[in-house]
Amino acid sequence: MGIGNTSQQWGWLSKTLHWLTAVLIFVQIPLGFYAESLKLSPLKMDIFVWHKSLGILVFLLLILRLLWRIKGTIPKTVGASLIQQYLAQAAHCLLYGLMVLLPISGWITSSAANIPIKLFWLIPLPALVGPDNALKSLAAEVHEISVFVLLAVLILHIGAALHHHLLLRDNTLKRMWF
Amino acid sequence: MKIIRFLAGLFFLLSFPAVSATDWQSDSANSHLYFAPSYEGMAINGAFKQFSTTYQTDSQGQPDSLRVNIAITSADLGNSDLNEAIGAIDWFNISDFPQAQFISEEFSHSGDGAFLAKGTLQLKGFKKTITVPFRWQALSEDSASMTGELILSRNDFSIGTGEWASGEQIGLAVKVWFDVVFTASKTHL
Repeated sequence: MGIGNTSQQWGWLSKTLHWLTAVLIFVQIPLGFYAESLKLSPLKMDIFVWHKSLGILVFLLLILRLLWRIKGTIPKTVGASLIQQYLAQAAHCLLYGLMVLLPISGWITSSAANIPIKLFWLIPLPALVGPDNALKSLAAEVHEISVFVLLAVLILHIGAALHHHLLLRDNTLKRMWF
Repeated sequence: MKIIRFLAGLFFLLSFPAVSATDWQSDSANSHLYFAPSYEGMAINGAFKQFSTTYQTDSQGQPDSLRVNIAITSADLGNSDLNEAIGAIDWFNISDFPQAQFISEEFSHSGDGAFLAKGTLQLKGFKKTITVPFRWQALSEDSASMTGELILSRNDFSIGTGEWASGEQIGLAVKVWFDVVFTASKTHL
């Protein structure tokens, strides 16, 4: 298996980035809900540092994935009708869009709340906007709606992968594994 | 002869521009009192939106007394959730201590137009002696500005108690700075 994708196979870079993102998102979602549920405390602030750091990491990995995808190719879809192919493409676009919208709306929420961000307690991020209560509420709302949309699309994404693997018994899921 | 001597004396007196003590009152619309706690070493800028300052200069134009009243309830960190949080009992405890006060009657000169005001800061029920450096600059005949900056330690006033007292996330040093515009409210001989 090479680094690059072919029309039949995913390369190891795409696979690694896909599963790394998957793990990060599955940590991110409960971490966000947990942090939000806590009352203001040092623990809450630490959990939020993790949440913000991992969220920006997902965003950076996404940029890498998109560049890699634009630069190279991706394997052909197997055993799917034209409608299913369009649906799959739409779902993937939506996933990419949400991986942009979630970190950016989170970053705006933090900046509008006048709370500076330091990734992994090391790298300070600039504020995207100044303190603004109305904008903070709006960005937080977008962030929250986005996570529910993400959950719905993830169910579709995982459901489709399992459908291919368990019912259609094709190699869609297998070829994403190492 | 007497009248000439009287006029000469009057002329002599009037030839000094600052012969009277002056009361100065802060102009709240143009005055600012800022404070910045730090989070993971990064400043969070805030302000006390309501405060008033009276300042007195003596007949030589030198500082005589300074009095600052601060509405702690007006503390604004730019975020309604944070503002609510800092009013709580472990931070400012604004329900018990809505006001802070600084009073100084001891001044020293520290350079051209620069002074040090030593006085008592009463905050959250504590009284501490602090020194506030400031620069006094005339803006016109009856207005002037006072600017300065200092660092306070929040633990001196038990602001941020319990799990916040270590200063690990929210630093112990809090920067305070001000830019106050005064108008001469009363001049008395």
